[in-house]
Amino acid sequence: MARIEQEKPAFTLVEVPEDHSMDAMVLAPPPQPARRRKGDIFRPGNGPLVQFQGVIKKYDGEHRGLDGVSVNINTGEFVFLVGPSGSGKSTFIRLCIRELRPTSGSVIIGGRDLGELRRSKVPYLRRAIGCVFQDFRLLPDRTAAENVAYALQVTGHSRQEVRRSVPAILSLVGLEGKEDRLPREMSGGEQQRVSIARALVNQPRLLIADEPTGNLDPETSLGIMDLLLRINRTGTTVLVATHDQHTVDRMQMRVIRLDQGRIVRDAEGGYHEDPGDTGEIA
Amino acid sequence: MRIGMFFREALRSIRANAAISVAATVTALIAVFILGAFIPSFMYVRSAVDAQKAKVDVDVYISDNASIAQVNELKGRLDTLKTDGTISGFTYVSKDDALKIMRDRLRDPSVLDQLPSNPLPAKFNVQPAEAENANAVVAAIKDDPALDPTEGIVYPQTTADRLLTAAKFVQWAGFALIGILLVAAILLIGNTIRLSIFARRREVEVMRLVGATNWFIRWPFMIEGVICGLAGAVVAVAMLWGIKVGVVDAWASGADTALTKTGSTATTIGFPLLTLVLVGAGAVLGAVGSGITLRRFLRI
Repeated sequence: MARIEQEKPAFTLVEVPEDHSMDAMVLAPPPQPARRRKGDIFRPGNGPLVQFQGVIKKYDGEHRGLDGVSVNINTGEFVFLVGPSGSGKSTFIRLCIRELRPTSGSVIIGGRDLGELRRSKVPYLRRAIGCVFQDFRLLPDRTAAENVAYALQVTGHSRQEVRRSVPAILSLVGLEGKEDRLPREMSGGEQQRVSIARALVNQPRLLIADEPTGNLDPETSLGIMDLLLRINRTGTTVLVATHDQHTVDRMQMRVIRLDQGRIVRDAEGGYHEDPGDTGEIA
Repeated sequence: MRIGMFFREALRSIRANAAISVAATVTALIAVFILGAFIPSFMYVRSAVDAQKAKVDVDVYISDNASIAQVNELKGRLDTLKTDGTISGFTYVSKDDALKIMRDRLRDPSVLDQLPSNPLPAKFNVQPAEAENANAVVAAIKDDPALDPTEGIVYPQTTADRLLTAAKFVQWAGFALIGILLVAAILLIGNTIRLSIFARRREVEVMRLVGATNWFIRWPFMIEGVICGLAGAVVAVAMLWGIKVGVVDAWASGADTALTKTGSTATTIGFPLLTLVLVGAGAVLGAVGSGITLRRFLRI
């Protein structure tokens, strides 16, 4: 099975005294471009990490999830995917992890056309992409540490590797000392941190978050977004679907705005920059 | 290491879903029990029918007027049938032998002394290799000049035909019933496992999310199915053993003399072999049941 050969420690934690008031630690950037790992299905190369080419996704009958979307996301970017409910954000994300296949057009992740990806390879795609959801999707009968360890066991890591990586990643997301708590004993923000830790523990190149702050209060949301940003600084590409205007406005990152399955804006800035010009595609 | 983990996951799930695991075990128990009662009965009936089939033989009567050469020619034809496997053997019964047999059978043999001469024809008693071959034997020799014009060839055609029909019926009905039982058991166990999967739907979802291969997801469930199937099978075998010792053996020893008198040689499957078959069936039922059910959850 796919096993990461790790001579180096799983995660290097570096003390950072400045700004981030909530989090004292930062991921040391892993060597980028990342070494090609065994079982890594991404093709080496400098092309965009995520590439949508004329993607149309029709659900049964005429209802369109996506209606001709073409976009590139490069390695190392931090991208917000915004738009009202039903605009196609979730469809976009589910296409990325091949929970859905496009009706036409192609979705290319890490140089791999997902339309041509054999079903048996899909698990390897998912290992290369970390996923975080609004509802956390934690296993209720397992502790924080067990939930994170699970992602490592599934990908065939040894117990030693699990023992080494899990505490490191949990302290990275700010959950030191809470390893043995069950999800129901943690706050929403803490649960989301566990789910981010789980998404990160396999060292994905792409982290996708679907409404990660949808269930959280504004202050907790900021903490989560800060964490995602720090993860992005280590070289991990981050794609966040959200309708949390406040956060998007504050972060001033690239924003792809979807409406009725089409990209109506793609620019740096806030959620509603130039609210009038919905027809413009940057 | 991974096998250990799969077992831990399976046991964890059995504990977490105790009620469902018990339901799956009981389902397997019932299926294996019915199978375990049916297989020996079926094999006994089949063996009895086979024993009867072996008794179908053909009497070829020889005309008193046939010359030695003609009789030898007929014998030659039977020899040919024997070499090509149609018949397993034949014996010659002379006129004197026939009379002697008749004498033995009669309660008052002295009546035979009244006869001016021996009216009984000589015959070949032919044993077809298979009961089905009786007709072929008849077809091969029915025009032989050495045959007795009045008796000709005599064999219990209707008995043979009925037996054959019965044997075929028993065989196919048995296979069909076993098949239906197995399918029903697999579906039942599958349904029960589905409850367990519904209970652990989120877990499967998360497993897929973090990139578990389908086999990785499947193993714990299949092990769970096998454990339930085995547990059910063991209890079923214990119950069958009780019934065999307590009821069947007692009845058989009482009926034994009657059975040997009629010369029944019918046998059935031995209990150790039956146990092996049933325990194997339990394990397979559990594995296949959960495997089939999982397929649906592992699409995409």
